[in-house]
Amino acid sequence: MLEAVNVSFGELNLATLAPMLIAIMGALSILVVDLAKSGLHKSLYVMVSLLFLLLDFGSLVDFAGIFTENGTMFGFFNVMLMDGISILSQLIIVGVSMLFIPLALTSKRFHEYDYPEYFSLFLFMIAGFQFMVATDNLILVFVGLETASLALYTMIALHNRSKSFEAAVKYFTMGALAAGFYAFGAMIFYAISGSVEIHTIAEVMAADGFSNIGYASIGSVFMLAALGFKVSLVPFHTWTPDVYEGSSAALAGYMSIVPKIAGFVVVMRLFEFMVHSEVVWLQVILYGGVVVTMTAANIWALVQNDVKRMLAYSSISHAGFVLAAILIGTTQANTALFLYWVLFSFTNLGAFTMLWVNRQKHLLPGQSSDHPYEKFAGMIKIMPFAAILMGLFMLSLAGIPPFGLFWGKLYMISSAVTSGYTVLALIMALNSAIAGYYYLKLIIFMFMKEPVIHGVHEYYMMNASLSLKTIIGIAAFATIFAVVTVNPLIEFIATLVYNSGY
Amino acid sequence: MFDHMLSILIFFPALAGMLGFIVSKESIRAYGITVSAIEFVLSLVLWYGYDPSVAGMQFMEQFALVPAFGINYLLGVDGISLFIIILASFFTLIGIASLTETRRVKDMIITLLFLQMTMVGVFAALDAILFYVFWELSLVPMLYIIGAWGGPLRIYASIKFFLYTFTGSLIMLVGMLFMAYFYFQATGQWSFSILEWYRLVLPENLQLWLFVAFFIGFAIKVPMFPFHTWLPYAHGQAPTIGSVILAAILLKMGTYAFVRFSLPLFPDASVFFMVPVAVLAIIMIIYTAMVAYAQEDIKQVVAYSSISHMGVIILGTFAMNVEGISGSVFLMIGHGVVSGALFLLVGVIYDRRHTKLMSEFGGLAQVMPRYATIFGIMVMASVGLPLTINFVGEFLSLLGFYSQSHMMTLLAGTAIIVGAIYMLSAYKKAFFGDVTKEENKTLKDVNKKELVALIPLVILAVWLGVYPKPVLTPINNSVESIVQLMHEKAITPEAKAAIPNPAETKIAMASVTEVEVDVEREAE
Repeated sequence: MLEAVNVSFGELNLATLAPMLIAIMGALSILVVDLAKSGLHKSLYVMVSLLFLLLDFGSLVDFAGIFTENGTMFGFFNVMLMDGISILSQLIIVGVSMLFIPLALTSKRFHEYDYPEYFSLFLFMIAGFQFMVATDNLILVFVGLETASLALYTMIALHNRSKSFEAAVKYFTMGALAAGFYAFGAMIFYAISGSVEIHTIAEVMAADGFSNIGYASIGSVFMLAALGFKVSLVPFHTWTPDVYEGSSAALAGYMSIVPKIAGFVVVMRLFEFMVHSEVVWLQVILYGGVVVTMTAANIWALVQNDVKRMLAYSSISHAGFVLAAILIGTTQANTALFLYWVLFSFTNLGAFTMLWVNRQKHLLPGQSSDHPYEKFAGMIKIMPFAAILMGLFMLSLAGIPPFGLFWGKLYMISSAVTSGYTVLALIMALNSAIAGYYYLKLIIFMFMKEPVIHGVHEYYMMNASLSLKTIIGIAAFATIFAVVTVNPLIEFIATLVYNSGY
Repeated sequence: MFDHMLSILIFFPALAGMLGFIVSKESIRAYGITVSAIEFVLSLVLWYGYDPSVAGMQFMEQFALVPAFGINYLLGVDGISLFIIILASFFTLIGIASLTETRRVKDMIITLLFLQMTMVGVFAALDAILFYVFWELSLVPMLYIIGAWGGPLRIYASIKFFLYTFTGSLIMLVGMLFMAYFYFQATGQWSFSILEWYRLVLPENLQLWLFVAFFIGFAIKVPMFPFHTWLPYAHGQAPTIGSVILAAILLKMGTYAFVRFSLPLFPDASVFFMVPVAVLAIIMIIYTAMVAYAQEDIKQVVAYSSISHMGVIILGTFAMNVEGISGSVFLMIGHGVVSGALFLLVGVIYDRRHTKLMSEFGGLAQVMPRYATIFGIMVMASVGLPLTINFVGEFLSLLGFYSQSHMMTLLAGTAIIVGAIYMLSAYKKAFFGDVTKEENKTLKDVNKKELVALIPLVILAVWLGVYPKPVLTPINNSVESIVQLMHEKAITPEAKAAIPNPAETKIAMASVTEVEVDVEREAE
């Protein structure tokens, strides 16, 4: 006979749901507004989304304050988990979303922004990612992941070009495969430990001395494949360049940052304890994965003819670079992961927004893709200021000091040095040199070649509106003056990461 | 006002460069000259305020940038860096003043001002990360100068220049991070301050690895023998102003870094690697001298001779004693003046004829007597004729290395004779004989603008050759304290023996300078 479960309302600690609920409320209210009066301008929806995200962000800042005083919070039958890395990653997710949503305010009209559903999907997606990082329950991770991914597939397809449909279907198929892998992996872990909560799995496996290592390894491989799809680890990366090419530059930039940080947090939760145990083969797999992802993606990026595809491969490489933190597994490394991603998101925001403002509605004759290198040739003579900004973002991505990403690279390589991964540190450093070439290629086109296009004046910056320029300004400012923010960021991140036990 | 002198020196040109965007295209040259003249005066004020009797760092500035990771904004100069900073501001001034008709002159001048910020920053930084920031940042303006105003192969040359140096410095960065980590292990504190690193005594095997990591970064920049292939391309393609700055200042970053980092941080490793490095340096001196002899293009002759002389600087640095290091630091200044001037001179003839092939010239001395005179003086200075600036540096460098190895010094000495051969034969080909080409008969001699740039260099080359004391004394004081530090830090007996204690050898040094002064008096 089942006993009645008595749960007091207070014990549920529903407050832990607040950040996600704010995003969901926002999504629903946009739908309601559309029901009451349809055909409203996109600026309304952008601002409504922005306001809800602001509330969301505020609540997370509040949680960060509570966390530093009282430590980790559980809620909703211990399914919700508000620890440092969950708060941190949600701050990044929501913060970056706030910077990306104004990119909808282009001066030209784009199909997808006419639908209010686009914005409500956007907010649902954020809620999904937030659920994904704010739990160590494998089932809720799955639910969050799928919610977010399904919304994202739709948003890609809404861009309404043949390549977008291709991209959405490709992403959907790959995503479905990854979901299958994920379910298999979770099932195996459940079979070993009788639990779907990661910390219980860790305890059970540690208690019997990793005797089920055979099953655990199969489970880990499934999990690595599933999450590898999400963070585009080589060899699960094949969808990335095509999907980036098919979606709008704004959404591609978004995809290079937000889904990945959510993926990193799940990888961190799931694999950190295994890396720290004496499971050598997992370290070998991770080591191989990290090195191959960094290096191979860099080499593919060298031969791209389209700037967006180049940035897609470069973002794969950056993801590989950051995944080294999971392998190293010290607090410094995990701090470096978040530091790197914060700095990366600003620089990448800038780079993709620069592509977005230069996106013309129709391809010119002889132009095979949206952003070939030739399009930027001689930009210094036509639009000097825009060329300098784009050059700045490229230099930052290449890791030239004192711009943003250099500090992330510095801290990450230092964490490898500190933990005795000398060879890894050298590989990371040399990969930055390889990457230097393709970022430089764009600079060379912009600054040292003659313009190839004459007379088409609306070719550059045609999408620029005040809000897009503001976003570029914010990104440039954050990239140039990153050095000032590094210290507070390191201290804040290190506190949150350390107190969560990573 | 001296409290923030170095910060002003670093950021004044950058700020002025940013304001320069607003200045109109017609007035930008005057603006650039004004700014760089102010900067030069400021650097002279720095010299005025510098106390030559103090060996340690002066004009120190410090505030924490990233305290959680031990990164500080830490600046200071000693006798070693002071004159290179002055040289950097001097050459920027001369470079901008002598700038000929250039496409997009505004971009060029703004780029030069940013380049000046990075150059002064490298030599003034005392924090390894700050040093690295300026070191890397200096690549960007140079990349643009070569890539946008260079010759037909300019893009290949600029990429090669950038990637080569970038790769080397990333390995150096890993070395720096290791160094900071060892410091952390020893003291429990993160620090990237070079002065604090000086106090750290590392076991020999760690020194060897770190020495190699730093060496790769520096050797590519110098550039030392197997890594030198980027430089002829860079010089061959760069516009005159780019070559001048590259040869006069940017290459000095590498040799300066050897004195600032490698020697005092890893004295035992430096002694351990002394012979291999010296062998590389001698190969570099002889091989590039021979290559220079085989060149058709006068700019390539100057470029290879510049690499060849950089070998002497390396040799002097790795002599590990006060004479050698002082000589090599002085030779850095001398080499800067002379090779900078030679590149300017090549630029003068290139502007008139748009060719750099020596076979196109001949008999120029009849058409352009003033030009030939100045070129002649600089060629003499380049081959190290006594009473010219390079003689002092080369003599001291070789003298210093003589106490380490007689044979190798002898070999390096023969290379100077080879140097005289190729320089003089190039001079003969271009300037003597009959005027064979019709175009050469109507060439105009150097004009006023070019004279303004060249005359100060000639004066400098002779003045510091005849009377090097005002520059040599501060250098000597600072070098002595570095050698002292190396001697005290060295742990292996071989290193202790190879690095003499300057306190004991001071008397010998004093007599050497006296002899030199005597020689000069006789010549006068």
